[in-house]
Amino acid sequence: MGTPSWLYYLFGVLMFAVVAYCAVLLIVSIATKRPAGRDIDIAHILMGTAMAGMFVPAWAFGPSWMWELIFGALLVWFIARAILSLQRFGTHVPHTSIHALMAGAMLLMYWFPMPASSGDSVGMMGGMGGHAPAHLDAGIGYLLAMIFFGSAIFTLAARGRGRSHHDDVQPVITTATTAAPSFGDTLTVTDVVQEAEVGSLPWLEDLSHVVMCIAMGFMLILMV
Amino acid sequence: MTVRESESIERRLAEEVRGGRPPRDLQRTFQLLLATIWLFDAVLQLQPFMFTKGADGFSGMLKGLADGNPAWVADTIRWNASIVAHQPILTNAAFAGIQFLIAFGIGYRRTTKYALGLSIAWALGVWWFGEGAGGIFQGGATPFGGGPGGVLFYAVLAVLLWPSDGDGRPFVAAQSIGVLAAKVIWIVWWALLAVLSVVGAGRSPQALHDLIDGMMAGEPGWLAHIDRVSEGFMLHHGTAAAIWLAVLCVAIAISVLLPAPVARVILVIGITVFFLIWIGVQNLGGILVGGATDPNSGPVAILLLLMYWPRTDATVAAPSNEAISTEVEA
Repeated sequence: MGTPSWLYYLFGVLMFAVVAYCAVLLIVSIATKRPAGRDIDIAHILMGTAMAGMFVPAWAFGPSWMWELIFGALLVWFIARAILSLQRFGTHVPHTSIHALMAGAMLLMYWFPMPASSGDSVGMMGGMGGHAPAHLDAGIGYLLAMIFFGSAIFTLAARGRGRSHHDDVQPVITTATTAAPSFGDTLTVTDVVQEAEVGSLPWLEDLSHVVMCIAMGFMLILMV
Repeated sequence: MTVRESESIERRLAEEVRGGRPPRDLQRTFQLLLATIWLFDAVLQLQPFMFTKGADGFSGMLKGLADGNPAWVADTIRWNASIVAHQPILTNAAFAGIQFLIAFGIGYRRTTKYALGLSIAWALGVWWFGEGAGGIFQGGATPFGGGPGGVLFYAVLAVLLWPSDGDGRPFVAAQSIGVLAAKVIWIVWWALLAVLSVVGAGRSPQALHDLIDGMMAGEPGWLAHIDRVSEGFMLHHGTAAAIWLAVLCVAIAISVLLPAPVARVILVIGITVFFLIWIGVQNLGGILVGGATDPNSGPVAILLLLMYWPRTDATVAAPSNEAISTEVEA
């Protein structure tokens, strides 16, 4: 007897809940022509869909190389944004770095697929790509898991809600930004408030990040 | 986001503009680090073997902890193990749920006190039933192996991190319970570790060698290599290592009575030694081979040492910022 299958179904359902919520956010932001946080919403939709398929193999679709390509592109995108943020605001930990790590972790999950297990869940990606099973280095897996758990807790405890999607709020405030921020722009408090006004719930955005972090950490621990 | 919340954020950020970035609330940071470890433990509790019946499962591991303890201790451990053996899924899901509750409760400011209270009670229960009272009653509670029990550190940390509006001087641990009480807890704790270093199997070279040898199986190559070095060292210098560890623990105990520069040097040595022990002896709590329920005492011992780091005025949070942050969270 291993982990009960309902646990994996629970995580799978949670992943789809995150996907559904982020899809709504994305649609709202497109409808209102506000680009803020779109890349993170897209990343959560893709990661949630892929992870749901890992927890419940029956829900998986698409070849492994497709997902590797997607998460490779996301990794490059978030690294580029982190570099731009560093160039613009000097030494700090860019918010997008956690999303880059998450994209990197997704890549690792596809590069080191877990062998199929008993039951109808936790087969993960064993049969998705036809790769020979290889093990993820336990140290890397646990280190990433700890970072994700830390991110989950610190997001939960953050002073301002919604920072998991809209961080990089800098101490130097421009109190009335009217132009929509472009790639790499810093969101101001005003932006965050406006975003809230068009339908998103900042605490729910944080919750989706927390759920994603825990699910990803759990998956990494299962893999090693 | 309500108008009030947005105004609070505006106001806090405006404060940051006026006065630069405020000093970090270190007590809160330590609380969140503790919550992160609890979250890690909660997820470890969801590993497949935890739900497994029999000797290879969680109940088998619990039952094994009874061996070597006095009958009255062993009986209680076996009683708990039998409950887990009968209902492995239910009990393990409940155990994981409680740890999730503690982690999230500490993370959410409004429930921090309740969660810390729960964590103290839970840690004491786990220490007794899940760690066999840390091996104290069987003479094997050497700090090299995590004695007197990694989870007991969690309880001490929770007491010292009880939310408070104090200014965190001369160190974070004094913020809630006051300087005198914090120093007393510190001295008693490290004196206990000094004693445990040199009593029972703690000073036996063979026992220390076997402690490492027993955890080596399945470890990654780099860690197994470190293990071979450290078990060879313990076999030849185990008694001396135990005595030096006891001396270090005594030095750490009295460091709170010494000038800050001296205390800092001792704390740095303590952090370094406990980090090395965590890697080379405790094998990161055995998490890399699976089947661990926590990362053992290394990380929490280091967290405790950092909480007694003498602070300068520049690193102490100003009350105005504290008040603002509380308001924002509310």
